[in-house]
Amino acid sequence: MVEWDMNVVEIDNVTKTFGQFTAVNALSLAVPRGSIYGFIGPNGSGKTTTLRMIMRIYHPDPGPGRIRVLGGTKQTAADDRVGYLPEERGLYKKMKVRDILRFYAELKGCRDFKDRVNSWLERMGLSEWADKKVEALSKGMAQKVQFISAVIAGPELVILDEPFTGLDPVNADVLRDAVLDLRKSGSTVIFSTHDMSVAERMCDLIFMIYKGNKVLDGTLESIQDRYGTDTLRVKVEGNGFDPRTIPGVEKVTDFGKLQELRISKSTDSQDVLAALMEFGRVTHFELARPSLHDIFVRIARPEATDAVAPSQEIVHA
Amino acid sequence: MRKMIVVAVREYLAAVKSKAFLVSLIAMPVIWGGSIVVQMALRNKVDTKDKRIAILDYTNQLYDAVATAAQTRNEKDIFEGDGPTRKQIKPRFLVQRVEPTGVDQAQARFDLSERVRKADSEDIMAFVIIGPEVIKPGVDPARAAIDYHSNSPTYDDIQDWVAAPLNERIQKLRLQEANLDAGIVEAATRRTPVANLGLVTRDAAGNITKAEQTNEIANVFVPLGLMMLMLMVVMVGASPLVQSVLEEKTLRIAEVLLGSVPPFQLMMGKLLGMVGVSLTIVTVYLVGAFYAIHQAGYGSFFPAHVVWWFVVFQALAVIMYGSLFIAVGAAVSDMKEAQSLITPVMVLAVSPMFVWINIVREPTSSFALAMSLIPPATPMLMTIRQAVPPGIPTWQPLLGILLVLLTTIACVFAAGRIFRVGILMQGKGAKIGEMMRWVFRG
Repeated sequence: MVEWDMNVVEIDNVTKTFGQFTAVNALSLAVPRGSIYGFIGPNGSGKTTTLRMIMRIYHPDPGPGRIRVLGGTKQTAADDRVGYLPEERGLYKKMKVRDILRFYAELKGCRDFKDRVNSWLERMGLSEWADKKVEALSKGMAQKVQFISAVIAGPELVILDEPFTGLDPVNADVLRDAVLDLRKSGSTVIFSTHDMSVAERMCDLIFMIYKGNKVLDGTLESIQDRYGTDTLRVKVEGNGFDPRTIPGVEKVTDFGKLQELRISKSTDSQDVLAALMEFGRVTHFELARPSLHDIFVRIARPEATDAVAPSQEIVHA
Repeated sequence: MRKMIVVAVREYLAAVKSKAFLVSLIAMPVIWGGSIVVQMALRNKVDTKDKRIAILDYTNQLYDAVATAAQTRNEKDIFEGDGPTRKQIKPRFLVQRVEPTGVDQAQARFDLSERVRKADSEDIMAFVIIGPEVIKPGVDPARAAIDYHSNSPTYDDIQDWVAAPLNERIQKLRLQEANLDAGIVEAATRRTPVANLGLVTRDAAGNITKAEQTNEIANVFVPLGLMMLMLMVVMVGASPLVQSVLEEKTLRIAEVLLGSVPPFQLMMGKLLGMVGVSLTIVTVYLVGAFYAIHQAGYGSFFPAHVVWWFVVFQALAVIMYGSLFIAVGAAVSDMKEAQSLITPVMVLAVSPMFVWINIVREPTSSFALAMSLIPPATPMLMTIRQAVPPGIPTWQPLLGILLVLLTTIACVFAAGRIFRVGILMQGKGAKIGEMMRWVFRG
């Protein structure tokens, strides 16, 4: 049971198909307790399907795969210890904000909801709107109310499907701070996002899914280390400089002042430096750590479609 | 269970607090009551302009009777109230004699028809031809006929009225002809009515009581009223249920909810909320009806012994039909699509209306028993059978409840499966075949 104390969610070799379409393929992941776990991936890559499987709204295909959440393998989505903010979310238009939050708190079996509702509304700057009907709220305000409804009962695990989409920078900050505070108070947070900078800044662990396959899983550092060793930014003074002729250089991107070289995995950057020096004076040589954005684009851009081999690309923490 | 109740309370409040609920609660008695009030108010709003009628009497013995009757009527029967408030509420009938002339009867009819056709308000609007052999009919029935001609076939007041004085006089003349005393004949042929009574009982003191006069109107209208109320409540509940499921679907509330409450409990919560709403409506109307009946002095006709059964059957009917409406809401993507699926359920709900009159007339027949044990019809038909005296053995409604419960469980189970899959579906509605697959494969 020690293992389950460490990991709030464990997915082992799970596949989910819809008819002929494989949404998630032989997926495994583990979400450690107390972490913020970020899901990234292009649209339609299987993020929401995976989150819905964690929620048990979808059940995986029959087979050896298993999903354990908070140590259990219940078959129902409803779990009072889990707070869920789906990507497709809405509120009853005719209900007052306070009544909705109270409704969700009661559904989760939370009894001391009065103080919680007040403190959350205050925190989100919605106190004045507590007794207004939902139909009077702006989209951003409604989104904050939805967020509160997911966390009002103080869940052990919070699952947020694209919680920051559509928020202005101020509100996005408010929500981001709230998520960080949730972790401080002991909750584990899983969220999906399209905003790579948010994932970089907030997540302890980052998981990327592409076409149903896991392609990244680990800390930002480990992922960058994995991809970071193959990118060099160089500046060479001299005529007739053509880095493509250097053995081991797979791709060259010319940024004008600088050239970015991607080298093959077996190539030593020191060999490339030696080769560069033969062209002329090397005024800049940098072993670059690619941003998460770069890594994402590299995996998900069209030409990479066939190149992705999960077994090779996966970087473990 | 707790979650189910939280959902039920929300659904109940959402439904009861809405303006639509108040409007529909008030609208029905207003429409029904209003139509009665309007009919009462318009009852005497008839045209009081004089109506002139020509009488062509080939017997020469009957015109006087009509003229006398018209005079009596015009003096006495067409007014309402007395003294200064006396008001004419019906038109005067002015009869005029047309002498049989040399022309043949067909020509006479044509001439009179031409006068009517002119539509001159000062001239006749109808005429009566009294055949020459009316008093003593011969071989030709045409010569023994009385014909009323007019150009306003739907106005039958004159035709109805004129028959009485004519027949009275004809009868008198025939009796005279046969040398019979009219008084003796009337006494000898008087019909004796058959009274419709309930059974005789013995009171607490041991005395045999008199049987109560059976009120046929109450015996028919009380069961009918209960059935209509039950049907109305089921129908009133249909649209909010479908809409609430559709709202959760289209506004994407469903997935948020499913993270907190299992689909079956969510659906049951909705149904219980709807049962609460229906019982609120029933309470309002039954209390209103009880008060109205007591005020009108017909307190003994209030079916107090059936009320509890009614409430139980009403709740079951709401759950049984409500689960189907929820399944419809979950399977479709907009209200328009929902309508086509609601219709068959509605037809099922109103089907007891087709047989109710047979059931009221013979509530204890084996036909009535069999019909009332078909679960979709049980709530309404069993209530009818109980409401008609003397009622039915208790095992029958109990068996009915059991069968309805089993059907309800099956409906709720099937609806639950459709709901579970359908509630997360977006875009297109489900086909019947698809829904069946969800039900059987889960």
